[in-house]
Amino acid sequence: MKKRLFAALLGSVMLLGALSACGQSAASGSSADPAAGSGNASVRDELNFVNFRDIRDLNPHLYAGEMYAQSILYDTLVRVSDSEDATDGVIPCLAESWEITEEGKVYLFHIRQGVTFTDGAACDAHAIKANFDAILENKNRHTWLEMMNVLESVEAVDEYTLEIRLTSAYYPMLIELGGTRPFAIISPNCMIDGSTMNGVNGHIGTGPYVLTDFVTDEYAVFERNDSYWGEAPAVKKITVKVIPDNQTRIMALESGEIDLIYGKDMLDAEALTSYMESDKFTVELSAPISTRQLLMNTTDEVLGDVAVRKALQHATNKQAISDGIFSGLETPADFLYSSSIPYCDVGLVPYDYDMEEAAAILDEAGWTPGAGGIREKGGVKLSFGLLYCSDRVTEKNIAEYLQQEFRSLGIEMDIHGEEEQSYRDNMKSGNFDMVFNIAWGTPQDPQSSMAAMRAPVYGDFAAQQGLDDKGEIDQAITDILVSTDETGRQELYSFVLTRLHEDAVYIPLTYECNKALHINTLDGVEFDANCYRIPLERMFFN
Amino acid sequence: MKRYVIRRLLMAIPLLLVISFVCFCFISLIPSNPAEVALRIQQTPIITEEAIAKMEELLGLNKPFLVRYVDWVLGCLHGDFGISYVNPARTVAGELVRCLPATLQLAGASFIIVVVLSIPIGFLCAIHKDGWFDKIMRGIIFISTAMPAYWVGLLLMWGIGVKLGWLPTNGNGTWRHLIMPAFTVALSYISTYIRLIRNNMLENMKQDYVLYANVRGLPQKSILIKHILKNSMHTCIVAMGMSIPQLISGTIVVENVFSWPGLGTLCISSIFNRDYPVIQTYVLLIGVLFVVFNLLFDILQTVSDPRLRKES
Repeated sequence: MKKRLFAALLGSVMLLGALSACGQSAASGSSADPAAGSGNASVRDELNFVNFRDIRDLNPHLYAGEMYAQSILYDTLVRVSDSEDATDGVIPCLAESWEITEEGKVYLFHIRQGVTFTDGAACDAHAIKANFDAILENKNRHTWLEMMNVLESVEAVDEYTLEIRLTSAYYPMLIELGGTRPFAIISPNCMIDGSTMNGVNGHIGTGPYVLTDFVTDEYAVFERNDSYWGEAPAVKKITVKVIPDNQTRIMALESGEIDLIYGKDMLDAEALTSYMESDKFTVELSAPISTRQLLMNTTDEVLGDVAVRKALQHATNKQAISDGIFSGLETPADFLYSSSIPYCDVGLVPYDYDMEEAAAILDEAGWTPGAGGIREKGGVKLSFGLLYCSDRVTEKNIAEYLQQEFRSLGIEMDIHGEEEQSYRDNMKSGNFDMVFNIAWGTPQDPQSSMAAMRAPVYGDFAAQQGLDDKGEIDQAITDILVSTDETGRQELYSFVLTRLHEDAVYIPLTYECNKALHINTLDGVEFDANCYRIPLERMFFN
Repeated sequence: MKRYVIRRLLMAIPLLLVISFVCFCFISLIPSNPAEVALRIQQTPIITEEAIAKMEELLGLNKPFLVRYVDWVLGCLHGDFGISYVNPARTVAGELVRCLPATLQLAGASFIIVVVLSIPIGFLCAIHKDGWFDKIMRGIIFISTAMPAYWVGLLLMWGIGVKLGWLPTNGNGTWRHLIMPAFTVALSYISTYIRLIRNNMLENMKQDYVLYANVRGLPQKSILIKHILKNSMHTCIVAMGMSIPQLISGTIVVENVFSWPGLGTLCISSIFNRDYPVIQTYVLLIGVLFVVFNLLFDILQTVSDPRLRKES
C-alpha cells in the first residue's frame, strides 16, 4: 500500500515537472529567463527594464506600439531637445543641418552621410522620402498634427538633401518633425509595397538599439546597434519585462529582477515616497510635463458667469490636493501651462486660495445664500456637476475633496464618474458642466494643444463656446501657428494665455511629472524634452 | 444510455447559443462606439468622424445587430473570432492559442497540487477527527479560505521572492516560476477539498458496510483506504472535474499578479484596453468550458454509477 501511495506521489511530482517543461518549451525557443546571468560583472552592461504592457506593433507610422521602444529603434530628422544647443527646440539627428527659406515655407534638410539602417540599406534622402510618402498615404490619421494641413510636398533634391514645402509658414514644424510618431524613419525594406499603413514586415531603423528577441506579453530584448552613427550607448543589452501590476513591479525591483521603473503612471505616489530615503534605490522626478486641471463649461447657466468661475479658482486649495492626494510629488499648478513650458512664462498673477475672497466675489455678483445654505441668484441655484473618469482613483478623490470645500461656500457640486470612453464622449460633445482634463504634455504644449482648442477634439472647444472673446482667442492661436517673428509670436501667446486666465475657464490643479525609481548603481537616468521618450541610450552602470 | 448521451449533447446546443447571444448582447450594450474605442486604443491622437466611419466599415459595425451576431457565430464555428482592436495584425483565435498553454500549465500544476495535498490531509483529518492535527488543519483551512488570492500572491512574493530570494517574483519559463502562482491558485481549492474529503469520510464511516467490514475482521487500513476513502472519492472526483474550468477561469487575478502570460492576463489587459472581441471570446470560451465539463462529468458519473444509469 505504502509503495502505491509513494508511486502516486512520485507520479504527480513527475507530471508537475513535465508540465513546467512543456511550458518552458512553449514559451520561447530562446533563453528561458532573459534577465538571468546579468549582474555579476564588475561593471554591468545589461539593463533589466520593465513596462506594464507588451511592445505591441512597433510600426513607427502608426500609433499602436510602445513609444519607448520605437524611440530607441528609429531616428527622426531632428530630435526635440531642451539643451542649450537646441535651435527652435530641436537638435540635429538624421538631418545634420537645415535651412528655412521663403518666409518659413520651405525647409531644406541636409541629411547625415554614411548612416545605414541595421539591415544595411542606406538612410539617404530617398529612403526618408519613401517614409514621408508612406506617412502621407495615411494623412487623415495624422491630422492631429497641424503641419499635415499645411504640408505641400516632400522631395529628395539629391542623395543627401530633402526639401519639405509648406503652403504657409508653420512655426512648430521642426518640433512636430521631431516626434517619434509618425515621423520616425524605418527601412524601406520593411515597407509592404512602399506602404506602412497596413503594417510592416520588420522593425529596422537607424537608432541606437536593435530588437533581437521578444515573446509577446513576456519580454523584449534590445541589443546595441554597433553601426550606430551617434555616440555608442554604454548599455549593451536591454531586457524589458512585461509586468502589469504596480506592486509586482516594485517586488521585482526589490528582488533585483529589474533595475529601473520609469514613467508617469508606473508608480503610485505612496510607493514612491517610501523610497525617498532609501539607500538602495534612487527616486528621480522630472520638471512638470503637463497640467492636471478642471475645465468649466462657459455655456452652462451657472458656470457661464465669470464671477462664479473666479470664485471657484479662489476656493480651490491646490496645495492641499498636492500634499494630500499626491504626497507632494505633483506640485500645485498656478497656470494652464507651467512657466517652464516655452512661451508660457507670461507674468500672470495666480488665483490664490482664499475662501473669503471667493465668498466676497459671489456676494458681489449677487449669489446670496438661499434655502439649505446653497447660494442662489434670480431663482437659479449655484449648483453644477463635475464629471470624472471612474478609472482614475485620484480624480474621484479630488472631486470628493472639492465637493466638500465648495459646499462650505454655499456651492452645490454633484460629482459623477463615467468609464473612460463614456467620459471622453461626454467631454467631446460638451455634455458636462465641469470636467477633469490633462494638458497634452511636452513637446506638444502649448502649440498643438492650443491648436486643438479650435475644433471639437477634446472638451476645450465646447467649454470655451460661451466666451465673448472666443473668436479673438481662436484667431490669435491661428496667427501663432503661422507666425515667423519670435517677438510677435510671444505677444500672441501672452494674449491667449492672459485671456484664458482672466476668463478663468481652467482651474489648474497640479503639474504632472515623469517619475523613475532605480537601483543606485544605475546612472544617467534622465528625462527627455519629449515626455513620451525614455532616454535609455544615455543610461550606464557605475 | 446512448439515448441519454445524445439527449444531453442536443440539450447543450441551445445552451451554447444562449451563452453566445448573451456574450454578444453585453458587448453590444456598452454605450461607447466600438469603432471609436478601437481607434482610441490604437492611440489615434485625434478621432475624426471619417476615421470612425472607416473603422466601422472595417470592423463590420455598419451592419444590423442580428446580421453581426449571425456573422460572428458562423465565424466562431469556423474558428474565426475576429481581430484584436489593440493589434489589428493579430486574430483573437491566435491570441487565445498563444495564451492557452500558459494557463493550462498553471491550471494543471494547481490541480496536481490540489490532488496531492487535499487527499492525504483530508484523509488524515478524518481518521484523527478532533485530534490536534485535525484542529490545526481546520484552523489553517479557515484562514486560507478567507484570504483573497491577490493578497496571498503578494505575501508569497514578498516573503519567498523578495526576502528569502528563493523563487522569482514574476514571469514564466522554468519550474521555479511556476511554484508560487500554482500554489496561490491551488490554496482555496485545497481547503475546499480537504473539508469535502474529511466530511465524506466521516459520513461513510457511519455506514453499515463499514460495520460489516469491521465485523468481518478486515484490517483497519484496508477498511479505511479500500472502502471508506474509495467511496468518499466519488463525489470528490465529480467536484474536482468541475473545478477544472473553474481553475482555468480562476487564474485571472493570480496571472496578473505574477505576470503569468496566460488567458487571465490577456483578459485583464483586454478589459483595460476595451478590446471587446477578445473579452467576448474569452467569456464565450469559459462558458463553453463549463458546459462541456458539466456534460462530460455528468455522463461519466452516469456511466460509473449504476443507480444514476437506471434513473436516466
